[in-house]
This record gives sequence, structure tokens and C-alpha cells, in this order.
Amino acid sequence: MHTIRGFPATWIEHAAKASGFEAELSRRGFLKLSVCALSGLALLGLGDAFGENAPLVILDNATGCLLADPTRCVGCQRCELACTEFNDGRAQPSLARIKIARAVNFGPTGPTGGTAMHGDWGDGLVVQGICRQCPHPVPCATACPQDAITLDPKTSARVVDPAVCVGCRLCQQACPWDMLSFDEEAGVATKCSLCHGNPKCVEACPAAALRYVPWQDLTRDGSPSRATLSVTAPEKAKACLDCHLPAGTKSAK
Amino acid sequence: MAVRSGGFVGKVLRVDLSTGKISTEDTLERYGALLGGAGIGYRVLWDEVPAGTGPFDPANKLIFAAGLLVGTSVPCNGRTTITTIFPTCWPRPLVGSGHMGGHFAAKLKYAGYDALIVEGKADKPVWLMIRDAHVEIRDAGHVWGTGIRRTTLEISQEMGPDCVVAAIGQAGENQAPMGMVVNSVSHSAGGVGGVMGGKNLKAVAVQGSGAVRIAGDMAAWEKLIKFHLSILGGNNQHVVPSFPTPQAEYYNPASRWIGQPGKRWGAAKPPVEITGTLRDPNRIAYRTNSAAYFLGDAAWKYTVRGNGCTACPIRCHTMLKVPSVTTKYGIPDTGQNTCVALMFGRSFFTQLAGQKNSETAIEACMVGMHLADDLGLWSNYGQLQRDLRKLYEGGYLKARLGSKEYASIPWEKYDNADPAFLLDLIPRIANRQGELGEVLSRGTGAIFDHWSIPEAQWAEDHTTTYWKMGHPKHHANEDDGQCGVIINTQYNRDAQCHSHTNFVRNGLPLEVQKKLAAAIWGSPDALDAPGDYTPANVPKARRAKWSLVRKELHDALGVCNWMGPWAASPLQERGYAGDDSLESKFVSLATGQAMDREGLDQAGERIFTLHRALTIRDMGHVDMRAGHDLVPPWVFKDQNGAAPFTKGSIRMDPDDIARAMEYFYEIMGWDKKTGAPGKARYAELGLADVGEALDAAGLTPKAEK
Repeated sequence: MHTIRGFPATWIEHAAKASGFEAELSRRGFLKLSVCALSGLALLGLGDAFGENAPLVILDNATGCLLADPTRCVGCQRCELACTEFNDGRAQPSLARIKIARAVNFGPTGPTGGTAMHGDWGDGLVVQGICRQCPHPVPCATACPQDAITLDPKTSARVVDPAVCVGCRLCQQACPWDMLSFDEEAGVATKCSLCHGNPKCVEACPAAALRYVPWQDLTRDGSPSRATLSVTAPEKAKACLDCHLPAGTKSAK
Repeated sequence: MAVRSGGFVGKVLRVDLSTGKISTEDTLERYGALLGGAGIGYRVLWDEVPAGTGPFDPANKLIFAAGLLVGTSVPCNGRTTITTIFPTCWPRPLVGSGHMGGHFAAKLKYAGYDALIVEGKADKPVWLMIRDAHVEIRDAGHVWGTGIRRTTLEISQEMGPDCVVAAIGQAGENQAPMGMVVNSVSHSAGGVGGVMGGKNLKAVAVQGSGAVRIAGDMAAWEKLIKFHLSILGGNNQHVVPSFPTPQAEYYNPASRWIGQPGKRWGAAKPPVEITGTLRDPNRIAYRTNSAAYFLGDAAWKYTVRGNGCTACPIRCHTMLKVPSVTTKYGIPDTGQNTCVALMFGRSFFTQLAGQKNSETAIEACMVGMHLADDLGLWSNYGQLQRDLRKLYEGGYLKARLGSKEYASIPWEKYDNADPAFLLDLIPRIANRQGELGEVLSRGTGAIFDHWSIPEAQWAEDHTTTYWKMGHPKHHANEDDGQCGVIINTQYNRDAQCHSHTNFVRNGLPLEVQKKLAAAIWGSPDALDAPGDYTPANVPKARRAKWSLVRKELHDALGVCNWMGPWAASPLQERGYAGDDSLESKFVSLATGQAMDREGLDQAGERIFTLHRALTIRDMGHVDMRAGHDLVPPWVFKDQNGAAPFTKGSIRMDPDDIARAMEYFYEIMGWDKKTGAPGKARYAELGLADVGEALDAAGLTPKAEK
């Protein structure tokens, strides 16, 4: 029997039917299926079946995300320390996937002076940097030429697979909120993994400024903190055209 | 970077401002036995700064040292100890340390340095840039003459928003002995600002991207961190709340654990109500509000939030927003600080000192904080304010200041307790203007020297709380009877030791404290209730030694002695015991090398003894008991004539204190007659070279020879 990563092809056909994507399957094969029917298939646990072969374009939404309340943050940075100590075995805020230190002194706009400054030297507000676990298109994952940013099996958090990451840092450039960290020792990028559903930062906050909540789209709240450089690998860009067709055109495939 | 151990990051940075030479040395190789903090500082002074060096001589050195646990998530670890020949020590400068929290210590570790030694003197104003391995001496011409706020802003513009700047203001630039260095808005180290100024060093700015390693088992580490959080109380490790609640067996109105459900950070936008259960680890930060504790409940409405040091869940630097001060006094409406520095402003005024829930007192505090933390002026634990009050009210100033200068000071504002008085006075001191500014900028000893006022006029007056050597008491007999007295005799500045008071004032009933005391110090008689004292005994002396050793140890680990040790806890299920071995457990896991409590305490004692040795060397005589370990006469008096050991009186008895000192010297292994360690004692503590040098100089007790 024909299998894809161990899943019988018949299962996939059943799944496609159940998800209403049978026509897509027959027309463009598993690539399109993997793209559009992913959330349906994820329920059946079959999404992974296509990960190996298909360019990683669409990632299922995460199940949870962090919420940060700047009015409660006391600037102690215990979250950054918990993130790195309990995940990496060393205390290193520069590696943390929640970012406080950069906003503690002057807030997100930096040492501008004036009355609009946040942080300890401004009005006191500490605006935490948190990963939004972006919905499609996921900027970091899309930018990764290695498809090294994949889903955590438990929470669908976007995580860097250090075995695949080559350390090109394109994901860092692509994140609109500057939330990717780079592990200089290992030479790979790293990002918030939601600690498999039990975020250490939330546990560590002495002021209840952080909460772990069901995922919601936070990417539309507020503007990105920086201009981004998003480079999409050609083979991946081609796959984008499966969905993102200019009006009135037909797929080349 | 070669790192052989966790905890330490491995290097000590050395910067010679005279030559511009920048170098590093291996921490463990030279300083391992002294851990960090003042341990490194004392060793550098012993080895490299000869006796008789003045605080502002280029030969004096400044040692900024973090500690072994700094930079990790061990609660309350954000301390920097700055050791030098201390300029306010009178009648001659001796070794001393200023201490600051904030974010400087952690950044120094992340940059890869356990300590920074600054030596020499730059030929023009400079600041020191430390970005990981990249260290540069940069021109500070553009910020010289500016306050700490502007200096921090401009250096941060040059270096990046997440660096930490430790800067001096005008007081330090003017080499005022009362100058201080400030980082992270309000975290200051007194006495060392002028030493920086003497080296033409405006600021040290640090950016660090590296790691502090934990060498031991990470699961055990995480478990120990969580355990530590579970035994934390409020500020000063007060382990019971100040309010009755069904969630706690005990409460004590004097406790600093005041974050009661129903209170709120009223100036947060929108206000943050305090909710939740008492021991929720995610609500520890709400327990402490220094402003509300010291200034009264009225401060809650001005509270923006708690702030404090890296990794500390106890946010003792309360951030306040008081809009009226901007229109009335032309200063920013937001300020923050803790304890004596929070009260800096109101304490100048007799009518406002100690006043709670007074809007004028709160405004005075805002003005005081703003000026002190920008100009970089230290209070010498409130002695500056008490000195001014005594000088003015006692008629000293009217008699001694020139009439023109006297008339130039807006005394009518002072008489009316108008905070605007501070806008005149504090810059006067920081800029060392006129006779008054000059004398006050030099500390209490200068008052005695300059105006020929006998020290006894301060030492006999309990309202000054003056202790000795130009400095006040710091948690002495008012808190802890003989134990507090012993501790206050030992340093060359105010004692800065909180181990003892954190236990005595933890809020637990005396019978519970005595039970804990029996377990740690071998007898329930190791402590009395404050103001209800019994005669001196050996267990009290043992607790005094423990307090001093842990204070030095905490400075060496970078752990806050305003919070530790953790001898008690809020946990009824533990019989309110904390964990007296907590520090050694953390050190063992951080370094990966087993260290028990006794071993670590011995390291603390080694550091403390090196301080003693430096003091003996620089004083040039061995009789510490007669010449150094002094107790002011007010301690032996009672305002109402109560006899010693009367309930409600803190009066001590001279013979009893003499006995207490002997018990203490004996427990320290020192000569009882002189209060000095002998050559053998130095050797037992791993300081054989120090003992031999002192012995050769005739600075060990004669009985041994």
C-alpha cells in the first residue's frame, strides 16, 4: 500500500473527504492538501504526514499564547531568567524568548528623552516583548530557508529545530516584533516554545503580569516594533501561489 | 572564555585610568577563596593599596564587585559592593564599602566579569564602556557637569537602551566625600561617588550578552529556587503580614508585608488592585510598598508600581507619581526609592521627619529623591539630615556661619517645613558652595573638625543616633540589644548589617522566634524582644557573629542582606523555620562543588576578618577594643531615666556591653584584651600571609608573641 511517512494513502483520502478537500487532493495532490486542509487534518493527527515533503508554508495556529500586562510588570526580569535557566541551564537574558531588559530603562522607543518615554526612566511602564505565535503567514517560519521552524507537537508553538537551523538569522530579520533570539554558543536561532504548555515565564512572574491563555491573534493589536526584511525562498514562494493567485488567473500547476 | 565553574563568570576586569591599560585576570585563581563582593575588594586593597593612602589619591582603588550568585534567578541577588578607602570615615579614612542594587551587578556578570577594579586617575573626564569583551575608556566631556539623569540618557544613546549606567552627579565630580554613584534611577552606593570623581570617572556603563552558568543539577536548582520563593516574606524578610487575615496564623502591625487585598497601586493606569491569596508566588511583588510603609497609607494612591533589582521579587523601590510636585517645585512627577533614601527629603525638617500621611512630607520626599539621585548626594543613613537639624536648631550655624552666608539661606522656608528649601540646600551641598555646603559635603566628621565641635556633643545626644567614626547607628540597641551594639562597633561606616534585625523584627511571636533561635544558635536566649532586654550571654554573641559573617557572605554572593538570611519563613507547616543552609545549597548547585553551611560561613568569616586586618593595618594600632569598637554614651542613657533592662527602654549597661564584647571576641577567636585576631587565627582562616604581615608590623596581640 502506498504510504506517506507511514500513513496509508487511503487514510489521507478519507481525511481529505472528511475535510471537504477531496477535489483539491485530486487536482493538485498532497501539497495543496497540506496547505488548505491542514487544520482539518491536524484534528486527525495527520498534518505531520506531509511535513517532510512539502515546503512548509502554512502552520496550524498555536493552541495557546502569552498575554503580558505592562501595567503590572515590575521589571525584575525573573521571566527572562526562568526562560533561560530552566530551558537552557544557564542564566542569560540575551537568550530569553520573552524580552524585558530592552524595555526596562526607556521603553520600546529607547532613550529619546521627552515625555513619551516608558520604562524606569520614563513613566514606569514596562512593555514586555512576547512572541505572538503568529498565524499564517508566520514571518519567521516563512523566512526560514531550511524549514527549521516547525510546530511543537503539544501546543503548536512555532519552534526552531536546532538540528535543522543553520544559523542564517533570516528569521530574526523577519520577525516584526524582534522576538527571535540567537544562541551564539550553539549557532542557532531560538524562540518562544511556550514550554510545552507550561510557560516558565508565567510561573516565574511575581506580579501576575503574564498569563497563558488560549491562542488569539495578537498580530493585529498594535503596530510591529520594527521594519522587517522578509526573504522567502523561491520554492516556497512558488507554493504560496497555490493560494495567493492574482485575481482572474489560474494556477500554473 | 575559560570558565571552570558555574556561578563565577571567570574574569576580573582591571582598568588603569592613568595609563589607559585594560586587562583581565582569572577570578578563581586569585580571589576564589574570597568568593566575590567585598572579598575581592578587601583583597585588592590589602595587596595593592598601601596603608595611609587617601581616598582621593590616584593610588586608591575602587573595586566594583558582583557576587557569585549574581545574574542567576536566585531571589534577591542584584547587589554590587564597591570597596575603597572610604572618604567619610573619620578621623582618618579606612576601608569601607558602598552597596547598590539595581541592574548593574547582573549586567557586569553577563558581560563576563565578576568584578571591576578601577585604578589610577584619568587626565580628563572619562566614562568606561564595557560591552562584553569590548572595553573602552571614552571621553565624558559632554556629560561632565550634568546630573545623573542626563548622563544616563546620553550614555545610553551612545551605547544602547539596555545598557546599565552607574554614574556620579555633581557631588561626585566635586569629590565630595558624601557623593554617591547611582544606577537604574535610584540604586545608589554612598561614599564612593567622590572617589570616582577623584579619578575623573563620570560613569561606568555595562552591556552584557553572556551567561552565568549553573554547574549543578538543573532540576534540583529549579526546585531550590521555588523553595526559596516559598520561604520569602515581605521586605526585610518580615514573614507575617501587617494585617489580620484568615490565611495567616499571626500578623504584626510593624511588619513590612503590607500588601493587603483591597489596597491598590493607585497611580497605575488603570490602578492595580491587590487581589489573590497571601502566599501566591505570582503575587510576591505586591507584598512590599516602601512608600506606604514609610510615608503612610496615603502613598498607595501615588503608587505606580514596585520596582527594584534584577531577579528580586520583593520590589522595595516603590515608584511614585505625585503630580503636584511638578507645578510646585518644577521637578518630574515620578520618582522612586526605598527606606532612608525615600525619606531623604522630609527628614531634613523636624516637623516632617517621621510624619506619615502628610502631603507636604510626601512632596518633600519627592523633592529630596529627585535632587539626591540626580546630583548624587548621599545621606549617610540619614545623618546628613540629623546633622543639619542639630546644627540649625542647636544654634551652631548662627554662631559659626558668616552672617552673609547665613542670610543667603532661606531659613524661613525651613522653619515652615517648605520642601522648596531643599531646592536651595541640596545643590549647595552637592556643589560644595559656601561654608555650609562644603562642610556638609564632607560628612559628619567635618562638622567636628571644621567648627571645632567636640564629637561628644553628637555622641551623647541620642536624637542624632550618631555612633562613631563619623557615622550613625544602623540597627543597634533599638532593635537588638547587645547583638545590635556589637555589630555597630565593627565597621568603619554605619554597619549596613541586617542579618540580625531581619530575624528579630520578622513579626513572629517571641516564643516562635526563640524556638527557631534555639535550633540555629543553640539557645532560646540568643535573642530578646526589642526593648525588653536581658543581660549579655554567649548565644547572643554567637548570633552577632552569625549576623556579621552572613552579611559579608551576602555581599560576596551578591545576595541582598536587606532580605537575608532566611532563618525564618511564613510557613506554619515548617514551624516558621526558613533554611539556614540556603546560601550553601545555592553555592553548591551553582558551582557544582559541594559546600556546606560551615564551609561557606568560614569563607564569610575570612572576608570579615580581612576587613578587620585592613582596619588594623590602616589605623596602625592593634587595640581595636579601645580605639575602634566604640559605643556612644547615649546608648547607656535613657531619656526617662529608666534603668538598663527595664521593659520599654533600650538603655544598655556599660559593664554588660563590656561582657558582650568579650563573649564576641572569644567566639571570633580574637584576643579579648585588644579585640584583634592573632597570627594563628588569621592562618586558620586561610589568611596566613595577612597574619604574618601584621605580626611583623607589631599589629597582632602581644600575648601571642
